[in-house]
Amino acid sequence: MTTQTETGIYIYGILPGDVELEEETTGVGEPPAPVRLVKFRDIAALVSDVDVAKPLGTPQDLMAHEDLLDASAAEVPVLPMKFGAVVANEDAVTGEFLEPHYDGFRAALEQLEGVAEYVVKGRYVERAILAEILAENPAAADLAAQATSAGADLMASREQQIQLGEIIGQAVEAKREQDTQVLGDALAGQVSASVVRPPSHELDAVHVAFLVEANAAQRLEQALTKLAADWDGRVELQLIGPLAAYDFVGMTPPDPSQSPGG
Amino acid sequence: MTTGIQQGGGGVAARPNSSGLADVIDTILDKGLVIDAYVRVSLVGIELVTIDARVVVASVDTYLRFAEAVNRLDISQEKEGLPGLVGDMTEGGAKHKTKGVLDAAGDKLRDLASDSREEERAPRRGR
Repeated sequence: MTTQTETGIYIYGILPGDVELEEETTGVGEPPAPVRLVKFRDIAALVSDVDVAKPLGTPQDLMAHEDLLDASAAEVPVLPMKFGAVVANEDAVTGEFLEPHYDGFRAALEQLEGVAEYVVKGRYVERAILAEILAENPAAADLAAQATSAGADLMASREQQIQLGEIIGQAVEAKREQDTQVLGDALAGQVSASVVRPPSHELDAVHVAFLVEANAAQRLEQALTKLAADWDGRVELQLIGPLAAYDFVGMTPPDPSQSPGG
Repeated sequence: MTTGIQQGGGGVAARPNSSGLADVIDTILDKGLVIDAYVRVSLVGIELVTIDARVVVASVDTYLRFAEAVNRLDISQEKEGLPGLVGDMTEGGAKHKTKGVLDAAGDKLRDLASDSREEERAPRRGR
């Protein structure tokens, strides 16, 4: 056992107390530390020892954190912590973490019973979206034509290029907003809640997290497949999940009438 | 990665798509529960990577990149020919470039993975 001054307790998330861990489950750290449960009443924190003198955050650490939580969320409700939650020792896990927040954690776990998060990401196919924008936007098309013919006059050309790029950037933003709405409408019947994530790339078409009941997951996939067919050649769609409900913890409790399972 | 959680004989749910590293960064560094009882630990160069993965602020660079991409379209065709380009995606060099940022972030992380072992990076502030 290491001494207490060097070791902290890394917290992955909170689960119902009636779960069991496989013995070989490991988490963050090098080598990956064994994961265990610290229970308080009927909830538990998923934790492992961590050497606080060593920086965390290698790709392995990040993947370990999310893999553990996502795999758990496929089985039981999980409140995922943001990466990097460490408390001083095991007493702090219960005394400073589980006990003072017990009511909130308990209620949030109930809300997540039977639901999981799915993230839908879409990336515009560059040539397709540019052609679409030029076709819809005569000013941009004119600039594009001028920019190539004005090749001799470099300064004028550069200014036109920037102007053209700005128009296109704004058009992509408008399309992103529009297509995010289309996505939301297409999946509205299958999801309990949604959070629009900021784009992570300039050609992002959609990036939205959805809270989905387990029995609606298949219909979600079907609805998304249909949308992918509509957008074929224009947007490349990706469905990620089921995930722990990262985007839905800490938000105000959803309308009880919408809450799954009762 | 196998897990470990079992509850009263529940079945294992299928995972159609697991996350890539870039998605993981978007998710667990940005989202999730935060409380105030933390001990501070250093995080390895994460902020750097996060910033690199997030270049969506419009800038002259972005505009020039868009304009270049337009130039790579064959606009010598008549205007009404432009929508035809939609179906013409196997040709031309534009395709290679479309990935860019996320891949770059992935590379960066891979680099970090090998770097951080050897040379101790300056610890960054974390929660």
